[in-house]
Amino acid sequence: MKVLIIEDEPSLRNSIREYLEHQGFICEVAADFREAMDKVTDYEYDCIVADIGLPLGSGLDIIRELKVLKSKAGIIIISAKDSLEDKLGGLELGADDYLTKPFHLSELNARINALLRRKNFDGNTSITFFEITIIPSSKTVLVHDKSITLTGKEYQLLLYFIANQHRVVTKSALAGHLWGDAYDQAGSYDFIYTHIKNLRKKMLEAGGEDYIKTVYGTGYRFG
Amino acid sequence: MKLLTKTTLYFLLFMLPVFTAGAFYLFHKFNKEIKHETDEELVNDQLEWLRYLDTAHVDNPIFRFNTQEFQLIPTDKPVQKKYKLKGVHLYQETEDTQAPFRELSQVISIHGQNYQMVLRKSMIEKDDLLKNIIHVMLIAFAGLLCFVVVSNWLISRNVWRPFYRSLDKIRQLQLNKIETLDFPQTPTHEFNQLNEALTQMTARIHQDYINMKELTEDAAHEMQTPLAITQSKLELLLQDENLSEEQLKNIGQTSEELQRLSRLNHNLLLLAKIENQQYPFTERPDLHQVIAKYLSLFEELIREKELTIETSLVPTAPWPLHPALADIMISNLLGNAIKYNYTEGRIQITLTTNTFTISNTSNLPEIPPANVFQRFKKSDQGYSNSNGLGLAIVKKIGESYHIRISYQYRNGLHTFTASC
Repeated sequence: MKVLIIEDEPSLRNSIREYLEHQGFICEVAADFREAMDKVTDYEYDCIVADIGLPLGSGLDIIRELKVLKSKAGIIIISAKDSLEDKLGGLELGADDYLTKPFHLSELNARINALLRRKNFDGNTSITFFEITIIPSSKTVLVHDKSITLTGKEYQLLLYFIANQHRVVTKSALAGHLWGDAYDQAGSYDFIYTHIKNLRKKMLEAGGEDYIKTVYGTGYRFG
Repeated sequence: MKLLTKTTLYFLLFMLPVFTAGAFYLFHKFNKEIKHETDEELVNDQLEWLRYLDTAHVDNPIFRFNTQEFQLIPTDKPVQKKYKLKGVHLYQETEDTQAPFRELSQVISIHGQNYQMVLRKSMIEKDDLLKNIIHVMLIAFAGLLCFVVVSNWLISRNVWRPFYRSLDKIRQLQLNKIETLDFPQTPTHEFNQLNEALTQMTARIHQDYINMKELTEDAAHEMQTPLAITQSKLELLLQDENLSEEQLKNIGQTSEELQRLSRLNHNLLLLAKIENQQYPFTERPDLHQVIAKYLSLFEELIREKELTIETSLVPTAPWPLHPALADIMISNLLGNAIKYNYTEGRIQITLTTNTFTISNTSNLPEIPPANVFQRFKKSDQGYSNSNGLGLAIVKKIGESYHIRISYQYRNGLHTFTASC
């Protein structure tokens, strides 16, 4: 899977690149508008992660260009602008997702995964992690080919873990992924623990291995 | 007090003594004139009588008349050269009252016999005169008053019109639309000066406001990028397998604090945007659906605390709000009701077409009314995840969209009510 990261801040660009490469993506980067334009016109990407405010131009023009080129690449906007107009503007131009800065790398990764699943396979593919198989089109989870029943949140949690396997995922990233903007109303992350516990129990009961490791004081690691 | 009322009242206050004094003066003046006229008549009458008596029969030794109007009584007093005039009160049999009279008296000699002659004229019309004067004064006063009020109203309506027009404009002033403020030229010099001063003032305010707004937005946006970088670096750092538990915990806590900072930044920016009315509403979101959405989103939190939720909701309640703000209002209020509740507590939610009420049980005491919607005023009892902006944002949404937000504490229930 080829991902183009268009971001002018070198530190952020490199962090995203490092994180995504570790998850098995082939990453290319562009630091300004012209470089980005050159790359999108010359090469094909599966997914483009684009900042809007770029030196020499706007990320929105890159999206317009991609539409002209009839590109099949999924587009995720990452922007410091979080107003509704900015979001709607980006999505109306044809971006597939909009992520406001600051974001968790694990969240960006999960969104790229979800986007690629929707784009490339229309959801008609399965994700396999050892004995676990997920069929997104029917939201089915199989452990040792035996179907297990998960709640909506547990299912999302499992998908998030598999997208970010072998990486430490913080509790706040999980909370943000599952509850969106409203998660800061929660007051504590205790409720995440309940979901993890239930998910773990269901997997173990189906004969699966316990892949969810608690990382002391921080979050969890899957796999 | 309205200007017109005030000027009218002052006018009355000044005019009342003047009118009273005028009435008294006129009354006395008339009184004096009438007395004078009556006296002249009495003197004339006396001359007539004297002329008549001089030619009367001489063989009629004694005249004696005794009526109220005319008396001629023989007397031993010496003859007086000059008549005397005075006012007297005499009993009137027909009316059973004392009536005022003018009296002329003189001792005269008719054919060698001295007589006391008295001529009197009734002054009874004087009372009527007093009544008439008061009557006329009252009519004049009332007429003048009406005239003054009406003319004052007509004049001030015209003269003050530009003033009220300016006042209306100032009253409807919205910071973000200040640049379109335009005071037309008026025929009154003072109002022109006022408008000029207002124009300059609003222009300055507008400029300051624009600068502030830009600063807030730019600062907030500029902060997002370093926050994003730090966030990503910490997340990468967490992946290092050689870290000790203590180090991991420290990084986790740093990341957590960073989250708080970014949420705070986000919320301050949101407050600024609501204040600037950057959320015009085009469609009316159904509050019932918003409530249902957040009840299901917070389902786990509610279950975790074993809260009992009692709802009484109308099926549709389109509210005049921006959809994003309806979400924020409901999620903040519901979130608070859950967060500050105790285990096995209660939440009551009532929605009618124009009121939304949410009550919750809590271990926290009543919030002092002065603090409830203030920024950064949060409970001291360890809810460190709160940044103290939730209710301030709700209040700000209310202010910007004409929704009244109020707080009440009764029987251990904290109640927030929003009504539009």
